Amino acid sequence: MDPVTLRVMANALRAVAEEMEAAMVRAAHSPNITERRDCSTALFDAAGRMVVQSASIPVHLGAMPEAVAAVIARGAAPPEVWIVNDPYRGGTHLPDLTLVSPVSLDGTVAGYAVTRAHHADVGGMSPGSMPAGSRELVQEGLVLPPVRLVGADGAPTDILDVILANSRTPAEREGDLRAQLAAHRLAQARLEEVAGRYTPPAVAHAMAELLAYAERRTRAEIAGMPDGRYTAEEFLEGDGVTDAPLAIRVAVEISGDRMRVDFAGTDPAGPGNCNCPIAVTRSAVYFVVRCATDPDIPASAGAFAPVEVVAPEGSLVAATPPSAVAGGNVETSSRIVDAVFAALGQVVPLPAQGQGTMNNLTLGGNGFTYYETLGGGQGASPDGDGPSAVHVAMSNTRNTPVEVLEVAYPLRVEAHRVRRGSGGAGLHRGGDGVERRVRALVDMEASVIAERRARGPRGAAGGGDGAPGRTTVNGVTVPAKWRGRLAAGDVLGLETPGGGGWGAAPG
Amino acid sequence: MIGGGAAADRLGVVGVDVGGTFTDAALVAGGRLFTAKVPTRPDDQSAGVVDAVARVLEAAGIAPNALARFAHGMTVGTNALLEDRLAPAALVATEGFGDVLELRRQDRAHLYRLGEHHPPPVIPHDRVAEVRERCGPDGVIVPLDPASVDAAVARIAGMDVRAVAVCLLFAFAHPDHERTVGAALRAALPGVHVSISADVLPEIREYERASTTAVDAALTPVLRGYLHRLGARAGEAGLPAPEIMQSNGGLIDLAGAADHASRTVLSGPAGGAMGAAGIAAAAGIPLALTFDMGGTSCDVALIRDGEPGRTGGTVINGRPLHLPMLDVVTVSAGGGSIAWADSGGALRVGPRSAGARPGPAAYGHGGTEPTVTDANVVLGRLAGAGALGGAIRLDAGLAEAAVARLAGQLGMEVAACAEGIIRVANQEMARALRLVSVERGIDPRGGAVIAFGGAGPLHACEVADDIGAARVLAPAAAGVLAALGLVTAGERRDRTRTVLVPLAEAARLHGPLAELVAGARADLPGATLTVAADCRYVGQRHALTVDWVEEGADPAALAAAFHAAHERRYGEAVPGHPVEVITLRVAAARPGSPLPPPVPGAEAPLCGPVAIPMDGATCWVPAGWTAVRDAGGSVDVRRDGTEGAWTP
Repeated sequence: MDPVTLRVMANALRAVAEEMEAAMVRAAHSPNITERRDCSTALFDAAGRMVVQSASIPVHLGAMPEAVAAVIARGAAPPEVWIVNDPYRGGTHLPDLTLVSPVSLDGTVAGYAVTRAHHADVGGMSPGSMPAGSRELVQEGLVLPPVRLVGADGAPTDILDVILANSRTPAEREGDLRAQLAAHRLAQARLEEVAGRYTPPAVAHAMAELLAYAERRTRAEIAGMPDGRYTAEEFLEGDGVTDAPLAIRVAVEISGDRMRVDFAGTDPAGPGNCNCPIAVTRSAVYFVVRCATDPDIPASAGAFAPVEVVAPEGSLVAATPPSAVAGGNVETSSRIVDAVFAALGQVVPLPAQGQGTMNNLTLGGNGFTYYETLGGGQGASPDGDGPSAVHVAMSNTRNTPVEVLEVAYPLRVEAHRVRRGSGGAGLHRGGDGVERRVRALVDMEASVIAERRARGPRGAAGGGDGAPGRTTVNGVTVPAKWRGRLAAGDVLGLETPGGGGWGAAPG
Repeated sequence: MIGGGAAADRLGVVGVDVGGTFTDAALVAGGRLFTAKVPTRPDDQSAGVVDAVARVLEAAGIAPNALARFAHGMTVGTNALLEDRLAPAALVATEGFGDVLELRRQDRAHLYRLGEHHPPPVIPHDRVAEVRERCGPDGVIVPLDPASVDAAVARIAGMDVRAVAVCLLFAFAHPDHERTVGAALRAALPGVHVSISADVLPEIREYERASTTAVDAALTPVLRGYLHRLGARAGEAGLPAPEIMQSNGGLIDLAGAADHASRTVLSGPAGGAMGAAGIAAAAGIPLALTFDMGGTSCDVALIRDGEPGRTGGTVINGRPLHLPMLDVVTVSAGGGSIAWADSGGALRVGPRSAGARPGPAAYGHGGTEPTVTDANVVLGRLAGAGALGGAIRLDAGLAEAAVARLAGQLGMEVAACAEGIIRVANQEMARALRLVSVERGIDPRGGAVIAFGGAGPLHACEVADDIGAARVLAPAAAGVLAALGLVTAGERRDRTRTVLVPLAEAARLHGPLAELVAGARADLPGATLTVAADCRYVGQRHALTVDWVEEGADPAALAAAFHAAHERRYGEAVPGHPVEVITLRVAAARPGSPLPPPVPGAEAPLCGPVAIPMDGATCWVPAGWTAVRDAGGSVDVRRDGTEGAWTP
């Protein structure tokens, strides 16, 4: 394909994925999607390879292909829309509901549209479906293997009723699912328009060329990294059931234009919920690859083709049923990033460790569930200070505005500020974390899944560590993974970690 | 006859638009249009403005005191924001929330470039003072502590600031605390400008409201200085007091503009959109897309029935600015955009631009990288001494050499590479046109593209092809359309307020609506009022703005309009679902002066491919399109074989 058509088609397809996301965000009901934008969209080719993805949430990067493969295996046909959240059959963790629909051009399946959104409640043992301390998957919510949400007649199936009956907030779920379906309708319409401008075979050809293009560019970047084997290890601070550290060990091997990332030696899956299905582990590795290469390369199957991820079956990073996974997607994924950064950072300029946690807070009670993640300090890099008060790795969700939050929920935010001085010292300072205190106005259940409460993010090249985070209830520190009840008037406080510094501080 | 109103018939109306390179004037007097172009004076734009007026008055042979109105569009505010030339300002916030500007919405600046920072807050954290108070959704929770106000005022008095922004939680619904703090600041700090969030933007979401208020505060002293100089120069020259174009497409008097700088941040692009809207209305085009392509950027907007689309806000240099404004989308693609080959072998255009210096290779000012302009020169679409208004001579050899180097890297023929550069650039601009039409639920295929700016008419037909439109209109005044928009613009004032009222309890809307209406009447006595409401389904978070035809009308009509809008935008409506009103919007408008309809010309149609020279621009008519020039010099191009096509 000529260099011009390649670029024109790349733009056209990217525009479809981005418009899908914009439509979903605007039509959705929950603050989790509309304000925080915890969602992604993508287009896949007919063979199930990701061609373009809207740039939003890195943890969705590598995890969508498994969902599409699972749906293709079931023989999906237009105008069906399939839904899946089972982490062992294409999902990540249960609140992420992934919809997959075949897109047809001239009567044949030309590709697949995918939307993934974090739903605020899919049932399970605690409101918000992010229970600290869960021990098996079924405690975390309704498990959906790939099934039809929209049937051959184009109408919603009975599965919708099952989903709504299993959520504490059915109206919000229905609104959010409608928004996802609107994005799928848009994908069909827009791809038809693109095919109308360039013909369906041209679209198929362009998809293949785009994958080859991204692969070519990624290989060229990897070839520029020094060959060798680089290792690192990281420890999770318990998993909500055990307080013992859980080890993640990684070896990154660069050989010519290929990269192999091997997690041999990683601990077996833990008894709690910080286990990762392999799809999440792949996402974490792909995120590091994107940070270490030119981010202008499209996020596609081609970009990840030169990267091989291997992990021991049944380990913390390649969990098997019935291990619980709610925290793996959000916390272990961050720790995997830290491990791979530490390994690859030995030969590629990468920043010091950032906060390394999403500080997941879930509150729920009579008729409401509220989920929030909080930003913190980014690690400093060789050429500057780390940014403060941002998400640093696998998430990039926004916060819920205080005014929106207080209109929607029986909560009052007492303070929200930058945690000054929490970034690690150094030639370049780590970014600062944040502090947020929330008062419950009615009795409610609370769950916090966090990391970096014992040891702060490490500095690099002689830089100091960032300050560890802290979770409190009425001023009293609680564990990194904590679940309990708040009485009306109780105040839950989150102080998020600062980023590591880079280079020894002068003088 | 151009220029409405009895007074304006006898007297002239002048509009002056300041661009990056040129300051343009358009004067309508006695039904005739006169134009002038002078270099922009970067040190003091007001000097260039008065020069331009003098020049156009001379051309028309009339005296300054024969002008009825003097309308002005400017880029002072945009540039100050883009270049961080703002007045030192302080922020007063609710205790515990002083970092609101720094915390933003917590998403990082770049997903994968982890070291990248957002632009620093307009007001740094060491110039923030907190006051003890708290309001919630239902009203006051913690009364305003007078001692904390005194302490905040004393702290700010010790800072060397020229402005203060006040943004307290829930002030959009409960503004009393902000007003008390504002009064204390004004009393203690004469000469310091104070912006209150409840005045600037009484809408929910504290970060966006604080950001808008901070921009308003820090920009107002800068803008006020400029407007003061302009007013003085106009007075010395015997001109009427200038009226200023706002981001919402309406004019405001000098004092109103000087009160709140945030109103006029997008003054320049609004003038262009209004000019195009005037052209569309005069030509009887119900659906038009404006396409204003210059050297470094391209502005597009949607026009329906002569009215530009509107939006509730934008982001400039990383700072949200949430105010009623024309929905003008800017992409960084222009004649100066540089083409390059990426490491994967794809042809890319922009976002880097050669700017005015060195400019495209063809300018001969030392530029060696191929630009969109160079590609046009290679293909012979921009030729002759008059191609760029005669101001710049184009060197085809230099253009060809630059494009040839890139063609070599990509393994392409030179002409194919030049065509490719134009295709890639066109697609980027077509994407912007889709954004303001398709993504807003409007099908652009039945519309006309109104092309202006130095490069607009050169690219418009191919861009129209890309979006499926079959007509392009390149107005004779394409080079000064923003100035013409100022001449034709009316006055407009917007007022908004977040109310959060379920439509089932519509009676609760009457109080706030009556206040907004009274305020709008006071803003512009005798003006026509329009009412709109941002609505959503109960449970949704984002709202759609729906026109509420008659003020105080039946809520059922509003609900029906909302269901229809939702269907148009998202492909579905949920008629049984309850609806709520988030924000009320009241606009007061006095109409401007319509342009006369085009007069048919006597020339034969011109079949593409052909380049038609215009005043200050070139209109490129590709194969498959046919152009007709009217008596006024405007070029109307239609795609062959479509309804309304020209028959040669």
